[in-house]
Amino acid sequence: MKNILRRSFIWKVGTAASAALVSTTGLSIAKADTGTTSNLPLQAALLEEEKVLRKFHQAFEQAINNGRYEEVIGMFAHDSEERDTAEGGGVRVVFNGGVFKVHTGGIRRLYRERFPAGKIGRRMEPAPGFELTDDQQHDSVEVSSDLRSAKAVFPYSIQVGMPFQTESSLAAMARLHGEGVRLWWEGGVYHIDYRKDADGRWKIRRLEYDTLSRADYRAGKSYAQPIFVSRLVACFPADPHGPDELV
Amino acid sequence: MRTPMHRFKYTKLTKEQIGTKLKMAEGGPLSASTFSNVLNGKTLKIVTQGGPTLEYKFAANRRLTLTEGGKQVTSGYGELTLNQMVFFSHLIPGEQKGYNVFIDQKTNLATVFEVWTSSGIKQGTGANEFTLDDREVQRQIYFGYVDNGQKAPEKLHHYTNRMMGKGIHWKQDTGIETIELYASVANTNFIELTRHIDDLSYVSTSDYVLVDDRTVIYNRTECEFSGIHTCFVVDLYGVKQVGVRFGFNDKDELEYYMFHGDGEIVGQLAYLENFDDHGLRPMFAPAPRPATAGGPAPAADLPQKGARTTYRPVRTFPHMTDEEVHQAALQRTSAFGAGGDQQSPPQAQATGNNLPFSDILVGKEFTLRFDNGGPVRDYRIKEMFKLQYRDHSDNVWHDADYRAYEGDDNLAWFSHMIADSKPRASVQVAVDFTNGLATSIESHMGTAYYGNETSYRAIFGVAEMTGLEAPLYVRHQLTDELVGQAFSWSYSDQTTSMHIYSSPHSMSWVIFTGAQALGAEWCSPCIYVKLRPGVYIFCQNEEACNGAQMIELLNTKASHDCGFTYNGGARGVSLGVTGAIGRHIGKFDIVNLYGPKRRNA
Repeated sequence: MKNILRRSFIWKVGTAASAALVSTTGLSIAKADTGTTSNLPLQAALLEEEKVLRKFHQAFEQAINNGRYEEVIGMFAHDSEERDTAEGGGVRVVFNGGVFKVHTGGIRRLYRERFPAGKIGRRMEPAPGFELTDDQQHDSVEVSSDLRSAKAVFPYSIQVGMPFQTESSLAAMARLHGEGVRLWWEGGVYHIDYRKDADGRWKIRRLEYDTLSRADYRAGKSYAQPIFVSRLVACFPADPHGPDELV
Repeated sequence: MRTPMHRFKYTKLTKEQIGTKLKMAEGGPLSASTFSNVLNGKTLKIVTQGGPTLEYKFAANRRLTLTEGGKQVTSGYGELTLNQMVFFSHLIPGEQKGYNVFIDQKTNLATVFEVWTSSGIKQGTGANEFTLDDREVQRQIYFGYVDNGQKAPEKLHHYTNRMMGKGIHWKQDTGIETIELYASVANTNFIELTRHIDDLSYVSTSDYVLVDDRTVIYNRTECEFSGIHTCFVVDLYGVKQVGVRFGFNDKDELEYYMFHGDGEIVGQLAYLENFDDHGLRPMFAPAPRPATAGGPAPAADLPQKGARTTYRPVRTFPHMTDEEVHQAALQRTSAFGAGGDQQSPPQAQATGNNLPFSDILVGKEFTLRFDNGGPVRDYRIKEMFKLQYRDHSDNVWHDADYRAYEGDDNLAWFSHMIADSKPRASVQVAVDFTNGLATSIESHMGTAYYGNETSYRAIFGVAEMTGLEAPLYVRHQLTDELVGQAFSWSYSDQTTSMHIYSSPHSMSWVIFTGAQALGAEWCSPCIYVKLRPGVYIFCQNEEACNGAQMIELLNTKASHDCGFTYNGGARGVSLGVTGAIGRHIGKFDIVNLYGPKRRNA
């Protein structure tokens, strides 16, 4: 059993990089940890790895936000380092009811095809009235005592979309200028498992988009309504951008 | 020209044929007006941003020598002026290319159009890949300046959205008369009043370049038609143009001539971008790449040379015979049923903004009697989505699914399939229960060109019903009251198209970008029927496009439309519903330019 030392940070969308916040939370954690371990070198190492993982996650979000999908894919572990099992082992992303695995090319399909086609992943402010609660905005990073693996929870607030499933002229013409996509807003939390690769670099082993709310919101609108979006229902290759399996 | 441009089979001219024809024009373009001689005896060095450096020597006999990249050529040229602008055009002998050059003599800024044919440009992917026709004139626009040894200017001519929404009626010194509606930043909706006898409107890809607040450079290329290119500079104060037409017409003749034109502004549509959006980035340009963290914003990727936003629908529209479509219809004919959305309704998929269905017909029994030996149909309607009808030609009652709207007070607008029809047919019927007038849009699969296109016609008549006294002579009728109007139609919050009712027999539609600029545009013939003041039927088939039909009742008082879609293909035949919230975007005063007129033989 791995000895996991838990550290929690309060993190709000858009304020993660605030120096003041980092400084304040860092102090409070240092106090909290004083009573949980006397291994100060380990404590320092854990703190350092947490910082690295937070930066790693920021880089992940930024790469998604800017459409640098190859960079995103490179942040995932290679399958050779992780056996795929029916119980959920193996490097994978869970997105809207679909499991995209690395060894099948599923993660590449997700980020190189589904995300760009649906204009998915760009950070946006929460839809008015749909802001996550304080509890939902809590993030956490838990690093194992051997400093080789970690679990994290981070909130997200992103644009999601789906290309119009029609060959109507309206959709075909909209595609000429990069439109033809039904867009909405999603807020939720990432559940992420990390582990270090042979070179000691953090990689994502498992990432799940746990969507808490959706709304028909796009930047500039003054109001939003909740919407229902069907979970993915078809796997690859029936759906060319589809998952390897359904949850 | 009688055959519509979208139906005309333009010759696939070969590169060799084009080369032979261009050789005859190496002496320069023709002009009905006298050429100007501003450049006579001058030398010019034009430096362009990201493009060629062109060094010209202009001789006295409208001959020029061009040095480009160390290579020197001599050719004839033509030159016209407009205010401070001098415009000249020439070809490069032995090459299928030339230059159209606009110079602002006040600022020394220049805009250069490189034009060429036989491009070999491939578009589409996989099975849908195709090569552009050799006859289609390509263009690449370069912004630059006349280099007199001065410091390079910081500001050059640039793309603009300032022409968007404007309409101009042009009369050229050639006798050619056109209406040009610049409703998109990437296209033009134009009507050839002299070249084509049906006054149909067409759409071609365009660019707009701002010289100064009154001066704009413009071009359009009639892609998917003859491929001919028209390029001019316009003075919006005087509404005058000078320009050039270059390419091959429907008779495969080379047209290479310069022209003067006088215009009249016929209207201005609103354009809906943010006020700080000046249309500086052309629609065909790739979006700038995002910056890396902390790094400088990288330059945008350069688009492919000649790139433009051109809708080429017929390239991917499969041809089916009437029988093939009917066999598909036997497998599946859907009226308002599940799966109907899987088909390809025209212009719209989502119908979230449609009007609610109405029970206006429930409990009614009536006969529709259409004029001139048209059909006579009895109707019995007991429920909201099922009706019974009997056509007097076979005297058999049929059950049919239907959907009805109340398009205006006590004005029913409904549709159903015609049972066992071959080709598959549907009717879209307006019945005015206040005056007994009725109109039916009789639709069926197939045109003279494609089995998987739809046909329609409007027939007029009356409703006979207890308590309703229909007139003997008064009828609904075809109308031009909508001509010149433009409405945006939002089928859902994320699917909006602007319709321009650009001529009595045709229209165009334009798709908004995410920034609400008007972008991709296409066109089709259509008809308009007046039902009441402010209430119309609009019907179109997207000919040589996807063959689908839209049949809408437009209530301009409520700025709402509602109606039906009808289409068919390999997946069968589908009758669906559609409707949208409208916004009146503006009006062009052009209706008086249409109508039967004397034409020169």
